[in-house]
Amino acid sequence: MDKLCSMREAAASVQDGALIALGGNTLNRAPMEAVLELIRLRKQHLRLIKTAGGLDVDLLALGGCLDSVDAGFISLETEYGLAQHYRRAVQAGQVIANEHACYTVISALRAGAYGIPFMPVRGLQISDLRKVNDYFADVADPFGGEKLAAVKALRPDVAVIHVQKADACGNALIEGPKYDDVLMTRAAKRVIVTAEAIVDDGWFSRNEVKADVPHFMVSHVVRARMGAFPGSCFGAYEPDEQMIRRYTGLENAVQLRELIGEVEKV
Amino acid sequence: MIRPCDIMTVSLARLIRDGETVFHGVSSHIPMIAVLLAKKQHAPNAVHLNIPGGVDPREPELKAYTSAGGELWETACAALPLQEVFDLSMRGGLDVAFLSGVQFDQYGRVNASVIGDYRRPKVRLPGGAGSAVLIPTAKRAILWRTKHDKRTFTEKLDFVTAQGHVSDIVTPLCCFTMHEGELILKSIHPGHTLDEVAANTGFPIRYFSAETTPEPTAEEMRALREIDPGDLRNLEFK
Repeated sequence: MDKLCSMREAAASVQDGALIALGGNTLNRAPMEAVLELIRLRKQHLRLIKTAGGLDVDLLALGGCLDSVDAGFISLETEYGLAQHYRRAVQAGQVIANEHACYTVISALRAGAYGIPFMPVRGLQISDLRKVNDYFADVADPFGGEKLAAVKALRPDVAVIHVQKADACGNALIEGPKYDDVLMTRAAKRVIVTAEAIVDDGWFSRNEVKADVPHFMVSHVVRARMGAFPGSCFGAYEPDEQMIRRYTGLENAVQLRELIGEVEKV
Repeated sequence: MIRPCDIMTVSLARLIRDGETVFHGVSSHIPMIAVLLAKKQHAPNAVHLNIPGGVDPREPELKAYTSAGGELWETACAALPLQEVFDLSMRGGLDVAFLSGVQFDQYGRVNASVIGDYRRPKVRLPGGAGSAVLIPTAKRAILWRTKHDKRTFTEKLDFVTAQGHVSDIVTPLCCFTMHEGELILKSIHPGHTLDEVAANTGFPIRYFSAETTPEPTAEEMRALREIDPGDLRNLEFK
């Protein structure tokens, strides 16, 4: 089944209030073009899931699209520094920061993918994160009695990932580091794939390398050359410093909308 | 004049023993370069693990914008993605995890979450990343912090993001190590003094003998320049 569509159509399929997982890691292979489209469409009350987020989370926060973020780490890393828009939104009470250890995001997604309500995790029970968050609880090993922490399952309504190659049916291949994208596609109820290149229908059947995401999990496929811009995409491009600095230097959502209107026209 | 980034990187590298499995995460240029240095010098069989999952990348072309990107994948020999590095730590197979934070107390506890209240913070920090599960499960958690002042090394944390198996903390002024559950001063970097460390630390400094941190050798400095020609180990000091 041909699922190729425009970015607008794919982003419009994300409901306000959706629980949404974003692929990539910090400035690496995040689905930035899809993120900008969600902002243009003025999506609201999104509840985001990411292990380590960067500019994607920062701009969605500035755009007023978010209710909450479940993540282990939000920053643009050392060169570009703190995610200031996100930081300010949390401090102003506009966005709820549900801090995880990156592994507890992974464990929550695994529970979602495995179809079970929680996952036991070692170590977390002596962190204040365990005390202040209701998505963590105490649990005992029913066989040996060891005390562990439990992490509540996360079952995203949709996972949005950016990949190097996909076919029109939704078979999708991630080249280079896969981060937590594949797990996100298994935990989510459906997947939106944006791809640097669309390969022909028989490409994966002929190729020794098979897709990481099988077509039946995918609802929308979008051709998105430079879809991780201004972040990096393995094998294709490095981050664009000038554009990142323009985004991080913004002061409010109005400026963001002006800027991404401009980007759209390019 | 010895630069803080050089003495810190070298001090971290020297803590890695040959054959150990060693992990670093995002925003971690200094420990990343320390792992590469240790493997080039005294610990060729240390196993370099990272977020993109590239095991033992060979002479990676390091990038300023990330310590978790494709550069650690391209020349790696095997794939062990982040999820599985965590699993390794959970089952007791991770020897060393390099982590950081914003506040540390004398018991080696770490805050990387918030200044102020968790729900309505005065400052929302990036978060502890893997700390809350890696510090208690890795055999040794080695911490680094490029700031050393009384707000960073403090008697009372705003929030305990993680605690557990912290073994050492390296700062621009000194090396701390854990002794019977408390941080003690192990060595002071050349050019700094005990008074200076004490004046910049919010809890009482304790030590057996405050030695001077050995200077980076000429060979270590040569290796550092080869591994890190772009001087990314100095990024946090710019």
